[in-house]
Amino acid sequence: MKIMKTQIKNSIYIKIFFIGLMVIVSTQSCTDLDEEQVLYDQVISDEFYQTEEEVLSAVGAAYTPMFGFFQNTNMYALNEVPSDEITVPTRGPDWNDGGHWVRLHRHSWNITDPRIQEAWEWIFGCISSCNRLIALLEPLGTDISEAFIQELRALRAINYYWLLDLYGNVPLVTDFEATEPPATRSRAEVYEFVEVELLETIPNLADTGPTDESTYGRVNRWTAYAALVKLYLNAEVYTGTQQWQKAADAAAEIINSGQYTLAPNWRDNFVKENKGASEFIWAVPYDEVFTPGSFHLPVMTLHQQHQNTYNMSVQPWNGFASVAEFYETFIDPVQNPGPQGDVVGLSPTGDLVTGTQDARLESFIVGPQFDSDGVTRLVDGAAEASDPDGPPLTITPYINELLPGGWRQAGARIGKWEFYNGMGQGLSNDFAVFRYSDILLMRAEALWRMDPGNAEALMLVNQIRERAGVDPFDALTEERFLAERGRELFSEVHRRVDQIRFGTFNDEWWEHPADASDHVNIFPVPQSQLLANPNLVQNPGYPDAGGD
Amino acid sequence: MCSYYSFIGLLAQLVLYNCLFASDLSAQEVKSIDEVYVSVDFNNAKIDEAFHTIEAKTNYRFAYERKDLDSKVRLNLESRNSTLKDVLLEISKEASLKFRQINYDIDVQKIKRAENIEDKERIDVYQGGITVSGNVTSSEDNSGIPGVNVVLKGTTTGSVTDMDGNYVIEVPEENSVLVFSSIGFVTQEIEVNGRSTIDLTLNPDVTELSEIVVVGYGTQDKKEITSAVASVTPEEFNKGNITDVAQLLQGKVAGLSITRAGGDPNGGYNIRLRGLSTLGANTQPLVVIDGQAGADLNSVDPNDIESIDILKDGSAAAIYGTRGSAGVILVTTKAGSKRGTNIDYNGYLTIESAARTTPTMSAEEFRSVAPSNRDFGENTDWYDEISRTSVSHTHNLSISGGNESGTSFRASANYRDLQGLAINSDLHRLNARLNLQQRAFNDKLKIDLNIATTNENSDLGWNEAFKYAAIFNPTAPVKTDDPVYDLAGGGYFEENFVDYANPVAMLEQNDNTREIKRMNFMGALEYEFIPGLLGTIRYSQQSETTLRSIYMPKDAYYSTAIDDNPVSRTFSGFTTSGYSRKKNDESFNQLLEIFGSYDTDIADVLNFKLLGGYSWQEFEYFGFLAGGSGFLTDLSADDLNAAAAVRAGSADVDSYKNGSILIAFFGRLNLNYDNTFFLSASLRREGSTQFGEGNKWGNFPAVSLGIDLARLGNLNATTFNTLKLRASYGVTGALPPQSYLSLSTLAPGESSFYAGDLGYINAYEPQRNPNPDLKWETKTEIDIGLDISLFEGRLNGTIDYYNRNTEDLIYEATVPVPPNLNNTTWLNVGTMKSNGLEFTFNYDVFSALEFTSSNFSWNTGINFSTYNIEFEALNAEEGVTFDIPPANLGTPGQEQTQIARVIPGEDLGILWGLTFVEIDEDGKYVFEDLNDDGAIDTEDEGPVGNGLPSFEFGWTNSFTFGNFDLNFFIRGAIGHDLVNTYRAFYENATLATTYNVVKTKYYDPNLNDAQIFSDLHVEKASFVEMDNLTVGYNFQLPSSSSFRTLRLYLTAQNLFMITDYTGVDPEVRYADVQAPDDPDPKLAERGILTPGIDRRNTWVLPRSFTLGLNVGF
Repeated sequence: MKIMKTQIKNSIYIKIFFIGLMVIVSTQSCTDLDEEQVLYDQVISDEFYQTEEEVLSAVGAAYTPMFGFFQNTNMYALNEVPSDEITVPTRGPDWNDGGHWVRLHRHSWNITDPRIQEAWEWIFGCISSCNRLIALLEPLGTDISEAFIQELRALRAINYYWLLDLYGNVPLVTDFEATEPPATRSRAEVYEFVEVELLETIPNLADTGPTDESTYGRVNRWTAYAALVKLYLNAEVYTGTQQWQKAADAAAEIINSGQYTLAPNWRDNFVKENKGASEFIWAVPYDEVFTPGSFHLPVMTLHQQHQNTYNMSVQPWNGFASVAEFYETFIDPVQNPGPQGDVVGLSPTGDLVTGTQDARLESFIVGPQFDSDGVTRLVDGAAEASDPDGPPLTITPYINELLPGGWRQAGARIGKWEFYNGMGQGLSNDFAVFRYSDILLMRAEALWRMDPGNAEALMLVNQIRERAGVDPFDALTEERFLAERGRELFSEVHRRVDQIRFGTFNDEWWEHPADASDHVNIFPVPQSQLLANPNLVQNPGYPDAGGD
Repeated sequence: MCSYYSFIGLLAQLVLYNCLFASDLSAQEVKSIDEVYVSVDFNNAKIDEAFHTIEAKTNYRFAYERKDLDSKVRLNLESRNSTLKDVLLEISKEASLKFRQINYDIDVQKIKRAENIEDKERIDVYQGGITVSGNVTSSEDNSGIPGVNVVLKGTTTGSVTDMDGNYVIEVPEENSVLVFSSIGFVTQEIEVNGRSTIDLTLNPDVTELSEIVVVGYGTQDKKEITSAVASVTPEEFNKGNITDVAQLLQGKVAGLSITRAGGDPNGGYNIRLRGLSTLGANTQPLVVIDGQAGADLNSVDPNDIESIDILKDGSAAAIYGTRGSAGVILVTTKAGSKRGTNIDYNGYLTIESAARTTPTMSAEEFRSVAPSNRDFGENTDWYDEISRTSVSHTHNLSISGGNESGTSFRASANYRDLQGLAINSDLHRLNARLNLQQRAFNDKLKIDLNIATTNENSDLGWNEAFKYAAIFNPTAPVKTDDPVYDLAGGGYFEENFVDYANPVAMLEQNDNTREIKRMNFMGALEYEFIPGLLGTIRYSQQSETTLRSIYMPKDAYYSTAIDDNPVSRTFSGFTTSGYSRKKNDESFNQLLEIFGSYDTDIADVLNFKLLGGYSWQEFEYFGFLAGGSGFLTDLSADDLNAAAAVRAGSADVDSYKNGSILIAFFGRLNLNYDNTFFLSASLRREGSTQFGEGNKWGNFPAVSLGIDLARLGNLNATTFNTLKLRASYGVTGALPPQSYLSLSTLAPGESSFYAGDLGYINAYEPQRNPNPDLKWETKTEIDIGLDISLFEGRLNGTIDYYNRNTEDLIYEATVPVPPNLNNTTWLNVGTMKSNGLEFTFNYDVFSALEFTSSNFSWNTGINFSTYNIEFEALNAEEGVTFDIPPANLGTPGQEQTQIARVIPGEDLGILWGLTFVEIDEDGKYVFEDLNDDGAIDTEDEGPVGNGLPSFEFGWTNSFTFGNFDLNFFIRGAIGHDLVNTYRAFYENATLATTYNVVKTKYYDPNLNDAQIFSDLHVEKASFVEMDNLTVGYNFQLPSSSSFRTLRLYLTAQNLFMITDYTGVDPEVRYADVQAPDDPDPKLAERGILTPGIDRRNTWVLPRSFTLGLNVGF
């Protein structure tokens, strides 16, 4: 009996204990897992956009990706390295990087190559930002929100322009809420979308000039026109149909706006304090403090020893350089008639020769290099035994080979944007995505394409040449047009497009063999995208995703 | 002192040997059983009932083991005034038992072969005899051992020592043999030889210590364990220069891989249990210290550890639900005792030097291959210049004690002062701990307060120094006054090349320090409502502050990227005119747990334990950093306000705070039927803030079963002590490594937006592609195991086979853009499968039993484990695959050179590259053209090795000889490959224009080509190493000595290594750590999918000698 009693008592205890436990834990706070109670250093999206400044800040998210425009990646790498004006030689142990720089220059890229993948993601990321912000602004229905929507649509159209140019056939997404992986659309369809969007938004965009703070760094009416000029000028490449007149007309809109003039000095466009330069149709407002490390040019191109020239806070990477044949188009009196004088020649030692004194030769850093005192020669202790010039640093336009043993000193460096004392990884100079002299040259080209004897075309080209201090042409040819664009717009992310339009992209030059097929005129859809999105179709001539 | 073992031993023996009685001490008047008459009437009586009846009617007591009584036998016997001997004879025949009278004890033994046994063999009588008494002490601390069984050999008759270790026993003859046994100690046999006093000392038995196993929220008898659990006690810990608690366990547990390549004293260890089974937050096991889940393993000092238990399989770990996927390491700290006060001091001194360095060219060899302008005329051994023979010392002082009023305590302080092999690198750590326990209300209430603090100061040095020591020009001087080479004005020889700096200068000039302050608190109330029903409330918290300070002075040339910087940039003191950076990271977590357990017997043979509880845990992480350049004087390094960058607005400033909450309900049922059948079932329902609405809660069930075949099959008990077959099934989960992944949030991006008149303003950008559907990653594991104990416990072993399947892996996948905003989203994608075999065996080759006179013993133990991880495709739906980025060789110049890959459907650990054929007559590499297209390109790359081993093993041997003991431990990993990145970058004489050249047996002087990565740089890295050798001497102290114990020992670590690998350390690299200068092991988790890469941040491999002293007062 006693045992029985104990057991009953025990079971009551047990029940009380466990019921008590359950009561304790079933109160609300003990099972509360709402994550916002532990959210500290971020803002829930729905709780933002309360003030005008917050809305402006949100729109800013569509523009901040632009700071990635001029780096050793993305747009710059894809448009410059495959062209005949820039290359990245493998310098012994440096810059091999799995061979992808060499593949980029030789047009033998893989669908897994990083530059191809990141540009796709970068441009589509900008587009998604635009879609997101448009969806966010649409319900507001105010004048300000409507103006932003127009601007974002134009910005999105420009991004689609870049996509159709680089990748040809891409998905077309304008709805941010869409979650289905989108299907590939033809290049012609994307072309049509870009044209319609630009034409629709142009009347609603600000007709401000280059010095107007309210739109500096942003898309205004002339930016949209500039994109339209480029679209029309290359329409034959994109759709098979020429649009020279439309190109000329769109360029005329900008010229006739009276907002832009050729800067008296070509270099004004590239100096450190170039904000609001008279040729800037759309500038990326780089700043070494507010957009730290973004405008990569100094580290991309300068030699390690140049750290001493400019008292740089970081060691440069000794990578990007120009191709000698391209450099030659500046100094060769036949290709570029003008006053003659001493210029750095094409010999392996970079000796001075007589050549054309084009003001735009400032685009290059060549010849003997000096410490910041301007007197002491820089010495490269790691100079190759085969380097005919030895350790004293002389940058030569001549490059001994692309792979594997490019000399450390070889290749004219890109000095177009002013390098200044104490600079770091990124410059404070602004960069013009669209520049007025390009508009002039494009109108000239469109007119000339329709009429090889067009006087305005010749006048426009010679306007550019005169400013550079070289002799005017008496007539225009394809070669002259392409070369002049090269001299004027070197390293400004136009060369690949120009070469394709002029039909030289698949030709042989230096270490680039002639392409077996022109499928390389557009890049492949990157493998990671193909794998993750089964609705995408690979571009012709490239392997499917499973091509491991 | 009542040591842990004796206490556990006492407990265990009270349970296990409850049929063993101390004998009555009135031998003189004992009558023989044939002189005693008794009347009995057994009617269908069980044997033990019959014994009880006889005991009630006489003065005799039966001593027997229950297993010897056949429960099916029923006795029917009626006798009137027969002698007891006759009655027993009858019982003997019915029940196959034989009896031996020793005074008033009747020893009962089973008759093995029942046929044709003479009556006189059935009954044996001893009377009179001798009284022997004495004291049994532990060799560990010379204190008396309570609960030691003192048994007459060949019988179950005997006595048990009292609380002070005293015993008295009657023996029948002068030449009787006594067997002294106690759980946790080596059994000894002593011949009486006519003596009346026998004192003796028992040695702890390392093989039998862990009879009580700590599992989540409680303990279990080892025999009841039905899942894969391993226990390691302090005696088994690795000895010598211990910098990290993980090191104690290295190689000791099958399936537990603990690695650290090279000898960085501040480098964390990488811990993997059964390989990799999660991509979530915890790829390393969850650490639970005295119930405090998620504590830092190094918040406890090795000297304060009582035991470490490792929950290996899913069913054991499932009680820890969400964080159990990578296993659980349970650490129990030492407690006080109830009697007296003990003071212990342990100290040791370690001398360490480099055992292996990267083979590079000497100055002379370099001259022969380098251009003449690279010869600076000196002969500098850069490894010599940056390293030293380091001297480290460690001290531990503990005071433990208690009193009869229920207070017990243990307080300890541990200080270690470790010098790194690299100059200017060190670690100073002070750990202090107080464990206080008070019992009240007739011992029904138990209050525990544990407080531990850590204060650690380190000079981290710079890992890259080892890289630069390998490649810096060996003809260059360390210092120079030539302005051409004193580039930064600090007096050191420098040159402006890519990835190149004077390693002596970088270590001597640049400060890189870390301070860690940690506080752990645990308070618990436990109340016993009725016997067996316990209720516990436990609260604990851990707070940790890590302050990293870096100063790169104005005249220091060395330039490096510093991790976690808002913008990835490189810093050099010289180019920035002094750069100072301080980063403070804090973490705070608190845990409240309420649970109850009920332990009772239902009927005699069925024990039942029930556990239920609730757990709430909150984690907070916060910190800030500030950094700036431009100092007028280096003396202002600690005043960031002195940095010009602060004034100019270009300083780096950042702060963050994030957190999460984890809530769980858990329950467990354990059944033990007759110590033969065991069942354990548990369920944890756990919720986390880190998942989307609707997916916050997950259920993690487990069930496991065990059958002791030795008992079931009535196997020969002297051969088969245990033969337990186990099977278990358990589900565990994994959390994502970040919070807020399901939320759409905004924060300023890195670059500002130019907003006209407003100037640059912050652009608020989405922080991620939110995934509101994010849910638990779950791992299902089946484990089949066998625990065996043979030959009276001399051979113990465990064999386990497991099969794991992880689903809904939490992975930051590359998603299509569009439709997504960002190119990655945290998704539940894909599955990973792994399986493996593990076994552990321990054998007492010689126990002290056989060599009583010389006291020689030899115990040997081996563990072995193998695993195989297959990575299934990462896909959320059919036709979609997410790309996993490969590992690349890296800078300089090999940024996109793939060297390791993850391929869906293949084993994890694939190393990737071209296949080397030869170097042709022009000195050019020739590679295999795999696709026969006449060109060597990325299409010709393929698998060239695997970074994970086929198997790993550890082999321990312990010898005692008198007062000496000797222990050696050999460890190995077989079958893995390593990418030797030193060779991949620098084994090429054409680089002598810039770098020194790595020269191993693979060096080919004819090579005249760029460095191109291939399988030439992938090496077999199997190794066997003499990890640890310890010789110790225990002084036998007279009882008059003021010392309780005194021990001296000498330990050698890494005495030799057998390997074909030419790099510094062939240790398995379980994760790829690329960041050059961060010792944070969390970084390693970023590279978990690409093991097998020996990066150039590895320190040299040390060899160390340690002299240690243990003193007890």
